[in-house]
Amino acid sequence: MAGGDEELRRELLKIVAEEGMVENRDITADQRLDEIGIQSADFVMILMAIEERFGVYVPVDERLTEAKTVADLLDVVCSHIDNHRRQEAS
Amino acid sequence: MKPVAITGLGAVTACGIGVDRLWTAARDGISAVRDVTFPRIRRQQVKRAARLAEDDLAAITAAGNPRFQDRTTMVALAATREAIARAGLGAGDFGERCGVVVGSGFGGAETIERNYVRFIEDPDGRSDPMAIPKIMTSSAASWIAMEFKATGPTLCISTACSSATQSIGVAADLIRAGLVDRCLAGGSEVLLVDGVFSSWESLHVMTTTQCRPFSKDRTGMVLGEGAGIVVLESVEAARARGAEILAELVGYGSTADAADLLRPDPAGATACIRRAIDGAGIDPARIGYCNAHGTGTIANDITETQALRTVFGEAFDGLLVSSTKPIHGHALGAGGALEFIVTVVALRAQIAPPTIGFLGVDPKIGFEPVPNVARPFSADAAMSNSFAFGGINASLVVTLPGRG
Repeated sequence: MAGGDEELRRELLKIVAEEGMVENRDITADQRLDEIGIQSADFVMILMAIEERFGVYVPVDERLTEAKTVADLLDVVCSHIDNHRRQEAS
Repeated sequence: MKPVAITGLGAVTACGIGVDRLWTAARDGISAVRDVTFPRIRRQQVKRAARLAEDDLAAITAAGNPRFQDRTTMVALAATREAIARAGLGAGDFGERCGVVVGSGFGGAETIERNYVRFIEDPDGRSDPMAIPKIMTSSAASWIAMEFKATGPTLCISTACSSATQSIGVAADLIRAGLVDRCLAGGSEVLLVDGVFSSWESLHVMTTTQCRPFSKDRTGMVLGEGAGIVVLESVEAARARGAEILAELVGYGSTADAADLLRPDPAGATACIRRAIDGAGIDPARIGYCNAHGTGTIANDITETQALRTVFGEAFDGLLVSSTKPIHGHALGAGGALEFIVTVVALRAQIAPPTIGFLGVDPKIGFEPVPNVARPFSADAAMSNSFAFGGINASLVVTLPGRG
């Protein structure tokens, strides 16, 4: 797991569910994104919501493109948020 | 496909006014990408773009009619004047045998922006009465027709990043179908204004650092703006008036992925490239240079490489591929025309412009796209690709005169 405390990951999971229009109670970290119907346009909505909430710009880079599961997605986003917070703190 | 003569080229880009400025920058790898600031964006995350220089825009506006024309139109007219001068067209060469096919993805972005801002700040105030005719995406096409009295079919093709490539392809189709003798074709896009840039940021496909097409560690695209216009004529019409034929358009292919709105599909791109080359009726091995769509996004560059490998087969190893987008930016509805112009000049010069910002081979891509420095080649055919959001693909193949 690449960073991110439990609370942060829960909040991100909620954003993924809301923006991906998936029932929150149905979504778990080990699910494949394509299985729960998260498509390219949903990615963009998720990234925008994350930017609004955390002030961090997450580009669609290689790591994000490679994300297969919900956990992969959360790992990428958490590492961006961790970096962002470190930069803000310094 | 019966060849269509290319007799004139005109371009306005962040590299400057004129094809020479675009080509010199492309050949020498000099990027027009700069720091850009959009004051109304509260938290601007992306800070780089290839914006038209203020002096150039001022000169174009001074020569235009800003009360009735958005920047998109004025820039298109400037490019058209250059193309027509290069082609040596006179007043008698227009009329109903001359068509206009000029695309734009967005239309009059600056006018939209200014009117919305004014409306929100003062809803009781008066809107610009010319706002609608300035904003409409077909405005540039109409003004070009009006300025040169081209009364043949006039179209505006608005298919995002494929707008200009399809415009050039459809213009060639009109000529081959015998509907017109010549066409002014291309695209125009001037949309680097606060509201539009903010929307582009929201898509998260722009890099916050540097655009590096096909490279390892690439992180996205960089926006540009401008206009590219070409003069296309039937070979007979060009010869009849003793015009110099710069190159010939011999193949045009276009397909729709009909799959995902944003994620490109290799099958659609493959079919498009294949259709253009099949239409040209030439062996892919004859094509020496490909100006790729090469946006620098993860998905496009992998998809485009897969498509090129599939169509070119063994000939792929002998093909020089580069993306000039890090130099002039991704000019969206004008992009295909700018890159087509670069392709024509590259073919005539026998020099493949470089892909700047290249750091090393991405294992998923597995080739070097003329990295960082131009490379000479020896071939009589070249191609240019555009793959748009919405899954609309378009490719053009050109040859040196008389080689189609």
